[in-house]
Amino acid sequence: MTEHHEGHQSGYQRLQAQKSLKEILEIATEFERIAHDFYTALVPKVSKQIRYLVEELAAEEQEHFDLFQKLANNPDLEKQVGTLIDTPANDHGFSDCIHLPDLGDHPDDQAVLQYALYREHAAMEQYSALADSTEPGPVQELFRYLAQEETKHKNELEKAYYETVHRGGV
Amino acid sequence: MRPENYQAINHPPSHEYELNFGPNHPGIEGNYALKVKLQGDQVVEAHADGGYLHRGFKKLMEGRLWIQNIALVPRICVPDPVPMEMAYSLAVEELGGLEVPIRAQWIRVMQLELSRIAAHLFTFGGHAATTGMYTTMYWGVADRDLFLDLFEELTGGRVYHIYNIPGGVRRDIPDGYLDRVTSTLDYLESRLPDYDNLFFTNQVFVKRATGTGTMTQQQALEWGVTGPNLRATGLKLDVRRDDPYLVYDEIDFDIATEEAGDAWARTLVRRKELQQSIRIVRQVIERLPSIGGPIRCPIPNPLAWNVPAGEAYARIDSSKGEVAYYVVSTGGDKPYRVHVRGPSSMHAVQVLENLVTGGRLEDVAQIMFSLDACPPEVDR
Amino acid sequence: MTDIDYKAKGSILNPLKNLQFLGRRPVTQPLEPRPASANYRGFHLNDWEKCIGCSTCQKVCDNATITMVRIPDIKEDPVNGIRNLRPAIDYGRCCWCGLCVDICPTGSLSLSREYVHTCTQAEIDSYFVLPDSSGMHGTYGHGWRKTADADLVDLSRHPMAHLEPPQRSDNFDEIMLGFTRQEAILEASRCVQCGMCHDACPTHMDAPEYIRAIWQDDPEEAVRQIYRTNPFPEVCGRVCTHRCETACSIGRRGEPVAIRWLKRYAMDAVAPERVKEIAAESKSDYMTGKRIAIIGAGPAGLTAALDLIKQGHQVDVYEGLSEAGGMTRWGIPEYRLPAAALARDVDVITSLGVRIHYNRWIGRDIDMATLQLEYDAVLLAIGLGLGRSTRIPGSDHPQVRKAVELLREISQGSVFAVPRSAVVIGGGNVAMDIARSLARLQKREYGTVRITACALEDRAHFLADEIEIIEAIEEGIEVLVARGPQRCEQHADGRLLGLKTWKVDSIFDEQQRFAPRYDNSDERFHEGEMIIEAIGQMSDVSVLGPELTELLEWNRGRLKVDVAGRTNLPWLWAAGDCVNGPDVVHAVADGHRVAASIDAYLNIREDVA
Repeated sequence: MTEHHEGHQSGYQRLQAQKSLKEILEIATEFERIAHDFYTALVPKVSKQIRYLVEELAAEEQEHFDLFQKLANNPDLEKQVGTLIDTPANDHGFSDCIHLPDLGDHPDDQAVLQYALYREHAAMEQYSALADSTEPGPVQELFRYLAQEETKHKNELEKAYYETVHRGGV
Repeated sequence: MRPENYQAINHPPSHEYELNFGPNHPGIEGNYALKVKLQGDQVVEAHADGGYLHRGFKKLMEGRLWIQNIALVPRICVPDPVPMEMAYSLAVEELGGLEVPIRAQWIRVMQLELSRIAAHLFTFGGHAATTGMYTTMYWGVADRDLFLDLFEELTGGRVYHIYNIPGGVRRDIPDGYLDRVTSTLDYLESRLPDYDNLFFTNQVFVKRATGTGTMTQQQALEWGVTGPNLRATGLKLDVRRDDPYLVYDEIDFDIATEEAGDAWARTLVRRKELQQSIRIVRQVIERLPSIGGPIRCPIPNPLAWNVPAGEAYARIDSSKGEVAYYVVSTGGDKPYRVHVRGPSSMHAVQVLENLVTGGRLEDVAQIMFSLDACPPEVDR
Repeated sequence: MTDIDYKAKGSILNPLKNLQFLGRRPVTQPLEPRPASANYRGFHLNDWEKCIGCSTCQKVCDNATITMVRIPDIKEDPVNGIRNLRPAIDYGRCCWCGLCVDICPTGSLSLSREYVHTCTQAEIDSYFVLPDSSGMHGTYGHGWRKTADADLVDLSRHPMAHLEPPQRSDNFDEIMLGFTRQEAILEASRCVQCGMCHDACPTHMDAPEYIRAIWQDDPEEAVRQIYRTNPFPEVCGRVCTHRCETACSIGRRGEPVAIRWLKRYAMDAVAPERVKEIAAESKSDYMTGKRIAIIGAGPAGLTAALDLIKQGHQVDVYEGLSEAGGMTRWGIPEYRLPAAALARDVDVITSLGVRIHYNRWIGRDIDMATLQLEYDAVLLAIGLGLGRSTRIPGSDHPQVRKAVELLREISQGSVFAVPRSAVVIGGGNVAMDIARSLARLQKREYGTVRITACALEDRAHFLADEIEIIEAIEEGIEVLVARGPQRCEQHADGRLLGLKTWKVDSIFDEQQRFAPRYDNSDERFHEGEMIIEAIGQMSDVSVLGPELTELLEWNRGRLKVDVAGRTNLPWLWAAGDCVNGPDVVHAVADGHRVAASIDAYLNIREDVA
């Protein structure tokens, strides 16, 4: 596990130090790439039965990567950053009680999902904290946008968690 | 040929001829044939020939569920269908151990008596028509129409009411219905003097009807005569009094009789019965509003209703005579056997043959109508 | 009675007094259409929204007047008991008796106040009508229609005798006591034989036939009809989810016919030895020489086993536990389904030659590779035997148990320390089962019941059957809705104290997907020496082994099977809860489907060789 992912302290400090939107987005994009690589590496380690889950997670991180990269290359970013935050996604609180499992050698589907949820939750919190500690302006708006994306992602994972774990039997 | 070899052949008298009276004849009540042998206009022999109205009801009923038969039974007697419905229901109720609620029993009495009134009006009209008095016929049919209106309101049908099912009746009386019945009865009573003037005191009719088709008490009993025809010979026999059914034992009415036993007596008995029926219905109208309760007792799902095995015989006094149903069940969902005693089975066969013999041709139709012989009951 | 003066020779001029009528209004009826009475029995009306096409009107008609016509535009809905048939009336036959109206289960049919229809010879077909709400000509409205006191359908179900809470709360005696012969015949007589139950049943049981047989007091024929589609009538007659009753046409306005309980009655009424004879009637006496291995002696596996043995194959069932039945034995408590009743069903199956090998775990005692070699086909029917956990903080405490495991222990009669207080997480039938089982043990041991069941769902979306919730509350269980589990609290000395929950604000998101939202300001603590999780179940697919798992194809965590239940490997099928679910009757349907597929496959190979 690299130390440079979103939730980690050093990642936080790196982001805090940036001032230009483009640079912030480049770091965020890199975080997504690291996550994508992590899941891709996990694919052969899990049982074929739940491989679909890890593959889907990797694909989602890839989508995020593409999204942020496209945003970073947008010439009108400065002007448009305020409009990125549409409806602030509400934090449902579901994953507050999930603690980060040790994935171990043969994680099951619940463990993988818990891990993914924790990642998204931590990322969401960190981006929010960054936004709160930044002066109002385009940078703060970008942080809010990133927090919102992570929240949305987390909500999707919560649904997948329910459908996988709270299923079977009457 | 040589004279000594001549043998005389006995031909039937050439002044006798056979006439087909019916089956399509306005002087016949329904589709029925009477083959009369005449000498001039004297009837020397008569032979009743029925079967034109045989629809096979009794056999049809064996192949239908108990509940489906309620649609078949009114058709057995067309002018007075209610006793048929009633007798069937009573027989099945006896077999099935069903207790008819008291309200339904009073409504049933009203329905029976209104049907009797309507049937008698029809018969007066028919009888008058056989003596050439068509005005009375039109009056009879028109006044009967008012009673058919009452039935339409109560049961949803004018002639075939299909209103009685084993266990009770199918619908309750509508609001204001009893008032309308009362006003119709009032109207009819106000019309009776007109009928008397036109028909009952009409000397032409009195002369035609007295002495025609006379039978004695002895003959009536031997021939199985029932109903008004029997009461016209002086015997006070009525199922409503002798073997009460429904709530007749709680109702005041007189049994109308006459002594002479001819067509005139039979007509008068019917006229008196009409008044008695009005009296009965008025009593029902008085009692009914204070009687509450359901209009039928619960029966099982009609598609899966096995009536316990047994046999039942239910008798009703109708305008034609004593109607009876003999129903046999073997414990299944269909009757094993239903035998219908139509009163006209006797009246239209042996009684009619005997009474027209020795009479005149012009009285044949009158005698049949005075007997109120109803061919649908004969043929079933 | 008034006398008329007829004896006196009335004047011959008397009749002339009635000449006055020439001056009066005639009684002739006008030719204009005359509205009939309010109760008139005229041409038919039918409300197509209410009509379900059950054909009961056709059955009661005494003149064969009614023909049921298929209307392509109407959508069929077998689950809710709606067909796309509507009645057509032949007015050449109809006698307008109105029996169809009085017996119509939904009340859609009525008769109008219209009674006139004329046409030329060319239009003679206009007497054959498909009535709708407007009727023949649409001139007059309703006449004769269904009333409450004239209804010919019996809308009330006969209740079944059962144990009241004081009699049942400290024991596992069966709660429902069964129908007497008289009660069963009465209840069976309510059926109008429409067949909606047959259409809605996942395994298309011949319910109208067995109900009719019971009504005719011929329970052996009922058993014969039942065994055509369902070899688990003792089970289904007690615990089935009764989709038949949901579709029953009597149930549209009243209580549905007790189709499930009648099935149980038929089994109660016939001796087990006779049941075996009846079940064996369709067994083939030709042995095919083919061998099939079935893993799991649950409803899906044993249904397939019975079908295959009757077709003349040899069947070996490998069951990991000590008795057959799967969830029906180890997951459903005995007060709902006694083990003896299930054993009778299993007995019938083994009496036909199915061999069940107990205590044989795949992977431990015998492996898949051996089965593949020694058998011509293998069926995996291992069900959902493992319980899921919330894995909330503290859930690794030894007194935090899974419902499935605890139910198995109770069913096996294992002795364990009954907790004085307990919390159950979950709102489905499994949660109710474990809560009510523990309540009985508590009552027996301590005299009081202290159990709380917490479900994420709100009352409207509660997953368990209504009757389970009602009976659980009667037995002293506290049922809480819309609470989400947060953590399992533990005392410093290691004892489990209870469960902390948050309120659930909403359950579904805008797309109706499950996405619970918590209100962490509404926090409650529920005392419990034991916490039991009944939130979900999964299959123990580890029995397949890693190589086979790689070879197989998967569909979102479950084995991928085609329509016939076959995996991508030609010798391996899967059926029941482990691939489909969700209940016993679906497992039975699955078993039939898979057995047909296996039999077809084996016959093909026979021809090729």
